[in-house]
Amino acid sequence: MTEAATFTGNPLENPLTIPGPRPVTIPTLETRRLRLEPPKPEDYPNFKATFASYRSRFMGGPLNPYESWMLYAAEIGHWQIRGFGMWMIHLKETGETVGMAGGWAPAGWPEREIAWIIWPEKAGKGYALEATDAARRFFYQTQGWEGAVSYLDPYDLSSIKLAERLGCKKDKEAPTIGNDEAAVYRHPSPAALRNTQIEDGIALEIEHHIDPIFKHKGGAVD
Amino acid sequence: MSRMSALNIPVIETERCILRAPEERDFEAAAAFGESERSKWVGGPYPRRAAWGVLLACIGHWALRGYGQWMIEDRATGEAAGRTGFLFNDGWHEPEIGWWLHDGFEGRGLAFEATQAALAYGAEHFGLDGPISYIRQGNTRSAALAERLGATPEREVEFFDAPCMIWRHPNRAEAAA
Repeated sequence: MTEAATFTGNPLENPLTIPGPRPVTIPTLETRRLRLEPPKPEDYPNFKATFASYRSRFMGGPLNPYESWMLYAAEIGHWQIRGFGMWMIHLKETGETVGMAGGWAPAGWPEREIAWIIWPEKAGKGYALEATDAARRFFYQTQGWEGAVSYLDPYDLSSIKLAERLGCKKDKEAPTIGNDEAAVYRHPSPAALRNTQIEDGIALEIEHHIDPIFKHKGGAVD
Repeated sequence: MSRMSALNIPVIETERCILRAPEERDFEAAAAFGESERSKWVGGPYPRRAAWGVLLACIGHWALRGYGQWMIEDRATGEAAGRTGFLFNDGWHEPEIGWWLHDGFEGRGLAFEATQAALAYGAEHFGLDGPISYIRQGNTRSAALAERLGATPEREVEFFDAPCMIWRHPNRAEAAA
């Protein structure tokens, strides 16, 4: 949303676009409980419902039907332009959708973002953690990302908690978006993530959601 | 149809235009159009960040509906001259053929040439024969183009909280029969 920033010319010269060959089709990722799939026409009503709700206030909502449609179509177009984008999160067991997660980099943004939204009634089950962890691995391992940020509203406490569990650190020096209101949370680099407590902690928390021997301490999580 | 892009967005070549998928290099032209008064009949003016969404959504529309709008590339210069093609967004009554030209490309018949090609393609490949166009009162240049394409005013509807005329394009199959 940094209005002043511009780019021209070959998209592959834009630093936010992934270099080299890009996926011809949007890939599907699998985790323990989830399948991350391309956004499809039949998933639009769920997206529209969430973006019509107050839940979407930290992601530019609430939106009217036309705005929802344009954003949903833009989620797909983003893959084509940048070579990465947002997935629809499905439960493997039932196929139902619970939200979206992935990468996002509109025109003029300083860096690539890892973003997520969970449908209001599906929050609190660790789906966003499991999905963003898988998305981040994909970007790091197959697209050569050396890092990412998440632009978070300072009042979006559940997302800030999630960013912290993903190992993000608030970066006060980094350029932000949206009239300098968003806080920048910097994700650990691939090297800073490999075989660390952060990685183990994520795996452990996902395990606890699947088999809750130990209850997560603290407030609502998504 | 000479080549296909990843989302199966076909490329149509006419005498002076190439109809193709929008690309990132089109963004500056699309943003300038969005910020100008030229976009007032298609939801504008709107800021740069919205223009980015409009560009991306144009691509995504193809994935959601199987058809969509093309970027009109001016063959002579390679510049993005505007857009034409099919739109069926949430809130539309039925699929529409919609067009616009960027500043500096009007008056040469490019919109007519490109839209005629789009209409023929849609009738043959998308089953969109005789689509509508939403044209508001006062948008005289689009009304003139619709007339030149053989369309006629059909009925007035509420569209984005304001009255809007639905024009109907001729059905090619019926005309040929």
